[in-house]
Amino acid sequence: MRKMANPKIKVVGLKKAFGDLEVLKGIDLEISSGEVVCIIGPSGSGKSTFLRCLNRLEEPTAGEIFVDGESITSNGADVDRVRRHLGMVFQQFNLFPHYTVKQNLMFAPVELKLKTPVEAEKTAIRLLDRVGLGDKVDAKPRELSGGQQQRVAIARALAMEPDIMLFDEPTSALDPEMVSEVLDVMRELAEEGMTMVIVTHEMGFAHDVADRVIFIDDGVIVEQGTPEQVMDHPQSVRTKSFLSKVL
Amino acid sequence: MSLSSLLETFEQLAPMLAGGFVTTLQVTVSSLIIAMVLGILVCLMHISHKRVLRGIAKFYIWIIRGTPMLVQAFYIYFAVPQLIQLSTGSSFRIDVFTASLITLSLNAGAYLSEIFRGSIESVDKGQMEASRSLGVSYATSMRKIILPQAVRICLPSLVNQCIITLKDSTILYAIGLGEIMYQAKIYVGRTMESFATYTWVAICFLLITSVLMLISRTVEKRMHA
Repeated sequence: MRKMANPKIKVVGLKKAFGDLEVLKGIDLEISSGEVVCIIGPSGSGKSTFLRCLNRLEEPTAGEIFVDGESITSNGADVDRVRRHLGMVFQQFNLFPHYTVKQNLMFAPVELKLKTPVEAEKTAIRLLDRVGLGDKVDAKPRELSGGQQQRVAIARALAMEPDIMLFDEPTSALDPEMVSEVLDVMRELAEEGMTMVIVTHEMGFAHDVADRVIFIDDGVIVEQGTPEQVMDHPQSVRTKSFLSKVL
Repeated sequence: MSLSSLLETFEQLAPMLAGGFVTTLQVTVSSLIIAMVLGILVCLMHISHKRVLRGIAKFYIWIIRGTPMLVQAFYIYFAVPQLIQLSTGSSFRIDVFTASLITLSLNAGAYLSEIFRGSIESVDKGQMEASRSLGVSYATSMRKIILPQAVRICLPSLVNQCIITLKDSTILYAIGLGEIMYQAKIYVGRTMESFATYTWVAICFLLITSVLMLISRTVEKRMHA
């Protein structure tokens, strides 16, 4: 594994168990600033759990996670503060149904007093424009298609001006014809230099966009490297077998 | 038995019925207000991470759900005063309205807390996660994201519980609360006009419960619009 001088995210010996079931069996990883990392692997392999540990939606059972050199797993760590820097996009969008699209984006920045409502609204409209939904600012989430909802969810995460974005299977709940509109937004983000960790089943997208692909199976990192290394010339039998099923 | 005799009875019955009805409404409305606060508190205890609080909430709900309200009323009106009297040595009495208020509040409070809890828990788990992942605290997420959605979900059950509590208040005639059923019984005792009297009692309840159901349906419709 590459050693970095100042990794954006550093994970050391991460383990997570649900009761007797050990889902993550010791993950070590460093991600540098601006890097786009795609995590692939069979369902139930622990990749989503790993991602959810990164912003402590799941509490790790053991191990440490550092963001910008600061431990987010120590007892004194202020989880809420850490999460402001880590945007998260979920498979099921999880937009707030009682708010309009614009209010979805304004909620956290205003609530946390990072922006005045006027500033937050400006940012919201700018971001919605950017994801191609400038005409939907006052719509309710349920009036939007899945692809549009997911683009709003990305914009909502961006409204906090995070420097890392986590994506948990962002296109898995979408109808096939809506996948590309979401991937296009993500691709743009990647090109702008956002640090991204993406759990995905979109192999083509991972191959295109990732700086590094990580194959996780059975709670461990089996193989990692450039998309060419991992996806075109896999070394491990497990990676080969997985890829032969999904490609 | 004819319509005219029904109407005749009503003229005689109306003042008593009206008096009883005022008491019924007083005890029901005050109890529901207390029960609402109690229900929220118990619900928060029930979903809290503190085992002791959860235990207290569960115990309370277990007692109320597991015993008839008539027994609860007798317990509060007769049994508890005796217990206090025996343990302190001085005489203790509780007036019937207070006992009724306590009974109805404790009863509705338990059911309401379960209604609130069910509504909160039926809000998609992803809502809390989305809010927390934006860096918003648990308390604020609860207040701004979860509760507004839970209120919508619980509204029909809430109105339903109001109707149940209103109807349950008639049980309190058994400890002598001068509510509508109590007045009706006195009237029947005097005149033997069971049919006419209880018909009017039923009509009174149907009137209010129908209004409540209508309100709930209108509110529901507006929320889904």
